[in-house]
Amino acid sequence: MRASDYLEHAWSNLWKKKLRTFLTTSGVVIGIGALVCMFAFGQGIQQNIRDQFEAMDLLNYINVSPRHGGAPTPADGDPDAQPRHTAPPPVSDPNQEVTVLDDAFIDEVLQIDGVEAAFPEMRFPAQVRLGDKEQFTLVQVVSSKGCGSGLIQLRAGAPYTSDEPNEVILSDTLLRRLGNTKSETAVGTEVEIRTITLDFSVASLMRMAFSRGDQRLPISDRRYSFKVVGVVERMGFGGALPIRSDVFIPPGAADRMRKLVLTGVSDLFQPAEKLAGYSTVTIRVASPAQVATVKAKLEERGLRTFALMDQLAEMRMGFVIMDMFLLAVGMIGITVASLGIVNTMVMSILERYREIGIMKAVGATDGDVQKIFLFESGMIGLLGGVFGLLLAKVVSFVINEVVNGFASGEGVPFIQYFSFPWWLCAGAVAFSILVSLIAGIYPTRRAARVDPVVALRHD
Amino acid sequence: MDADGFIQTTDLTKVYFSGPAQVVALHGVSLSLGRGRFLGVAGASGSGKSTLMNLLGGLDTPSSGSIHLDGKLISDRSKAELALLRRHTVGMIFQSFNLVASYSALENVAFPLLFANVAKKERTRRAAELLHTVGLEGRDHHRPAQLSGGEQQRVAIARALVNRPAVLLADEPTGNLDSKTSEQIVQTLHDLKAEQGLTVVMISHEEALLREFADELICLQDGAVLSHEILRARP
Repeated sequence: MRASDYLEHAWSNLWKKKLRTFLTTSGVVIGIGALVCMFAFGQGIQQNIRDQFEAMDLLNYINVSPRHGGAPTPADGDPDAQPRHTAPPPVSDPNQEVTVLDDAFIDEVLQIDGVEAAFPEMRFPAQVRLGDKEQFTLVQVVSSKGCGSGLIQLRAGAPYTSDEPNEVILSDTLLRRLGNTKSETAVGTEVEIRTITLDFSVASLMRMAFSRGDQRLPISDRRYSFKVVGVVERMGFGGALPIRSDVFIPPGAADRMRKLVLTGVSDLFQPAEKLAGYSTVTIRVASPAQVATVKAKLEERGLRTFALMDQLAEMRMGFVIMDMFLLAVGMIGITVASLGIVNTMVMSILERYREIGIMKAVGATDGDVQKIFLFESGMIGLLGGVFGLLLAKVVSFVINEVVNGFASGEGVPFIQYFSFPWWLCAGAVAFSILVSLIAGIYPTRRAARVDPVVALRHD
Repeated sequence: MDADGFIQTTDLTKVYFSGPAQVVALHGVSLSLGRGRFLGVAGASGSGKSTLMNLLGGLDTPSSGSIHLDGKLISDRSKAELALLRRHTVGMIFQSFNLVASYSALENVAFPLLFANVAKKERTRRAAELLHTVGLEGRDHHRPAQLSGGEQQRVAIARALVNRPAVLLADEPTGNLDSKTSEQIVQTLHDLKAEQGLTVVMISHEEALLREFADELICLQDGAVLSHEILRARP
C-alpha cells in the first residue's frame, strides 16, 4: 500500500465515524492545547527575561576582580598614603601571583580581541548638596575617556574633558531629589560633595574618648566643591554597565579627595599589597557570543570574573526544570487523551473485526493491517496536534489580552506572556502524532493478530 | 485425479484443539486438480469443506501433509507469504459475501488492489470493468445493503477476480441465495472459468448444482474424501 493510500484510507474511516473521531480528537486537542499553553508560557517568561537583559545591554559585560578580592584603595582610605594606580610590591608567597587591576591592566585588556571598552569600578559613599538640600549617594569614578565614549548618555551639558578638574556629572533623578526639576539649568552650578574618612587625629581621639553615640567613632568628613558639567538620565536599572550611578567624577579629582572606600568588612584585614589597584574592572565586549572567550582569557590570568551571561546560563537550567515541571503537568492531559485513543482504536477494531478478516482474505499482510490502523491513530494525533496548537494560540491570546488589560490599568506596559517558537509548534504536532502512534501500538498489534478464519465467520 | 495437478494436496490433515478436546477437521485428504478445471466439493456440515478451502487459500495452515500450487509448496510458507499468495494468485468468495458494509460496490471490488500498490485511477478502472463483467453496471456506488443477495455475491466475485488470480475458491457461494440466483451465480463462475481459464474450487452442500457445472466432484465425510468423480473429462 502506498502512503497516500494509507492516509486516504485512514481519513475515510475516521470520517465515517465523525462523532467518535471528534470526541477522541477533542481529548488530544485539549491535552496538546494545555501542554503547548504551558510550554508557551514558560517560553514567554524566558523570552521576556532574555529581551530585558538584551534591552538593558547587560549581556555584553564582564566584571573582573582579583582572585583575593582586593579593594581599590588602601584600607585607611587615604589616597595620599599610597598612590592609587601603582603596582603593589612583590608578594611574599611566590606561588601566589596577583594580577593587579591597574591602568596598565586596562590597556592590556583593551588589546584582547572582542573587547570594546574597559572601565575601573570605583565608588565611594558621599553626601551631595545643592543649595540647602542634601542627598546620600554613591559617587562613581569614570575616566574622561570612558565618559566621552558614549556609554554615558548626557541629556544636557558635556562630558568632562580631562581626568583632573573638579567637575561632576549628575543624574536628573538626583537633581530632582535635590530640588532641581529642570535638570538642564543645573549645568554650570556648583555642588558640594561631602566624603567620610577615618580620622585618627588627637582631637578626634579625644572626642571619641569623651563623647557618646556616633561621636565615639574616629570618623570625620571632608567637603569638596564641584562644578556640574553634564546631566545624565538615569535608566531603570542604572543604565548600561558599568555606568549605574547618580554622580560621576573624574579620577584625578577623586584622587585628591580624602574618602573611605570599603567594599566589605574583610577589606580592613587585607594586607596593603593586596589592596592595590582597582577592586573591579568592568569590560564590555562586542557581542554576548564573545563573553566566554574573553572570560577564559582573563581567568587564565588568575582573575575572578562574573558575567550576567553566566547567570543566564544558570537561569536556563532553572527554565529547563520549569519546563520539565510543566511537561509533567501537561502529560496528565496527554495521558488521558492517549487512553481515549486506545479506547477508540480498540472499539474500531472490534467493530471492524470482520473487515480485518476481509483485508487478510484479499491479500493484506499483518503489517498492512497494522499500518492501516496506525495511520488512523496517527491521523487522530495529527488533527489533535494541529487543532491543539490552534487552541493554545487562542487561549494564550485571550489570557494575554485579559492580563494586559488589567495590568495596563496599573501602568504596566504590554507584555507578551506566551511565546510560540517554531520548534514548539512543530514539536507539539510531532509529539501529538508520536503519542497517538504509541497509543495505537497495542490496538493495532491486536488487529494484526486477528485470525482471518475466525474474523470472516464473525457477525 | 490429475497426475500433474495445478492444485495438489497430499495427506492433508488439520487438527483443532477446542479446549481439552481435539477435533480432526481433515484427515489424510489427497487430491489433484488440473489447471482450468472446476472442482466441486460436497459434504454435510462439519465434513471439513470449509477447512479444506481455508487451507487451499492459505488462511490456515495444515497440521500435517502438504499443498502444492502450480508445483510450488505453499503449506510451509509464512503468514506474509500466504498473504501475497492470496493477493496475486488466489481469489476467494464466501457464503456471507463478506463485503465491507461501509464501502460502495466499486470500493469493495477495488479493495484488494489497495494492497497490491495499484494506483487509484487504475483501481477504479479495473473495478468498474469487473462490475460490468458480472452484470452490475450502474450499481458502482451502491452499498452492499442496497444490493440483493445475488448482486452482493456478484460484487464478491468481481472482488475475487480483480487481481486476476489463477485460482478461485468459492466457499458456499450460493448458501444464502435462492435456487434461481444460485444457478446464475454458479453459471457466472462456470463462464469465468471458461473465458479466463480459471481453476475453480467450489464448496456447496447442493450436490445437484455442482453436478450441473463442475468438472470433478469430491464428497467429504468426517474430514476424509468419501468419493471422487470425474464429471467432465478434459477437452
